[in-house]
Amino acid sequence: MTSRIVAVLNQKGGVGKTTTTVNLAHALARMGKKITVIDFDPQSHLAVALGVVSKQQTGIDEIMLGHATFTQQQIPVRENLNLIVAGPRLQEIEQLRESGSHRGDLLRKALAPGTDDRDLIFIDCPPSSGILVANALFAAEELLVPMTSDYLALQGLSHLMGTIKKFEAVLNKKYRLQIVMSRYIPTRRLSKDVVSTLKKYFPQQILATPVRETAALAECPSFGKTVFEYRPGWRSAKDFEALAGDFLAGRMM
Amino acid sequence: MAEQEENSMIGYDPLAWMHEAEEEESPTRSAPLSAALPDDSAIFDDDMADAGVETEPGAALNAADLQPSADAETTGRIILEPLQNIQTVSQLHQQLRCMLDSCNKIDIDASAVSQIDTATLQLLLVLKLTAVKLRKEVNIDFPSEKFMEAADLLGVSEMLSVDQAVSGFF
Repeated sequence: MTSRIVAVLNQKGGVGKTTTTVNLAHALARMGKKITVIDFDPQSHLAVALGVVSKQQTGIDEIMLGHATFTQQQIPVRENLNLIVAGPRLQEIEQLRESGSHRGDLLRKALAPGTDDRDLIFIDCPPSSGILVANALFAAEELLVPMTSDYLALQGLSHLMGTIKKFEAVLNKKYRLQIVMSRYIPTRRLSKDVVSTLKKYFPQQILATPVRETAALAECPSFGKTVFEYRPGWRSAKDFEALAGDFLAGRMM
Repeated sequence: MAEQEENSMIGYDPLAWMHEAEEEESPTRSAPLSAALPDDSAIFDDDMADAGVETEPGAALNAADLQPSADAETTGRIILEPLQNIQTVSQLHQQLRCMLDSCNKIDIDASAVSQIDTATLQLLLVLKLTAVKLRKEVNIDFPSEKFMEAADLLGVSEMLSVDQAVSGFF
């Protein structure tokens, strides 16, 4: 079995990368898929959202530095759902300046062995466009881009697409790119116009279910719970359940 | 400038370049590269002279080294050779001059650079500054460790906008 490696990325902050990763991953795990999520942001928000708060716990940092393996660093956090935390040295990796080192390739190499028993690996990227995001772009074959429905998010996406196209040219590969509309406010006209603009440029690449903005999604990280645990059966839980179905079936807007 | 229809809540469309890039064929450059150069490159030449970089205006050009991208009318792409020094700077100057002429944006791939001297860095710096004057964009992509070391040593990494760049991939 070969794992699908999906980078959840958007260099713009506040678009719902971590919320999407946590809840989509849990939705897929509840459907029986074997999932590993990697907290690739030194701020460790993904781990916190899943209830793991130890700052000393090592994770992807030690795998990238060659001191641990993918299998060793996985923490089972829910049924079918494993987490690899960022680790205290992830920040150091971002600042590595060793001459001759191939810093962009560390994550790809780290994920090469030991991932075969997982159906999906999600990499929750930091809101930046530095070395860590470059590592994620090297390692992933698929990109999931959470997008809010506002103008500045479109502007940010334009920049992100420029970066992605450069990587595609240099690495000679074509990513499978999917967009998820997050923090969606259906009553706003601008939301519909943003979606309509996106459809023009990304036909059949926007997942069918938009995840609506709700208070519950903002609240659940502070309890270390996913929306399925914090507000089961509520609107947001249903959105993510539907989104997971779209993701597996390839259902697009 | 791509704008949406009147009723849309979105004015300027920041993604328009994606369609433009797909639609435009990559045209071959038919004009002789050594032809009389218009104003844009003349400014670049003046700036180079001001900066004290000596280049040979008549240096032979290798058109194969120019890599017009799909949106060649707006974006030019050039890959720096591993060795960049005073012997190669004239040719690079000519190439960049031509690109500055015909492109609104130049992407320079510096991933393969294993040795670079002050003349080349100065050339790139003048290019960046000239591009700003002309409201054009120059990006140095994937700078190698050696490129970064040299730029840091000369204190020009910030001006070349490579201080925050991701480097050392290849």
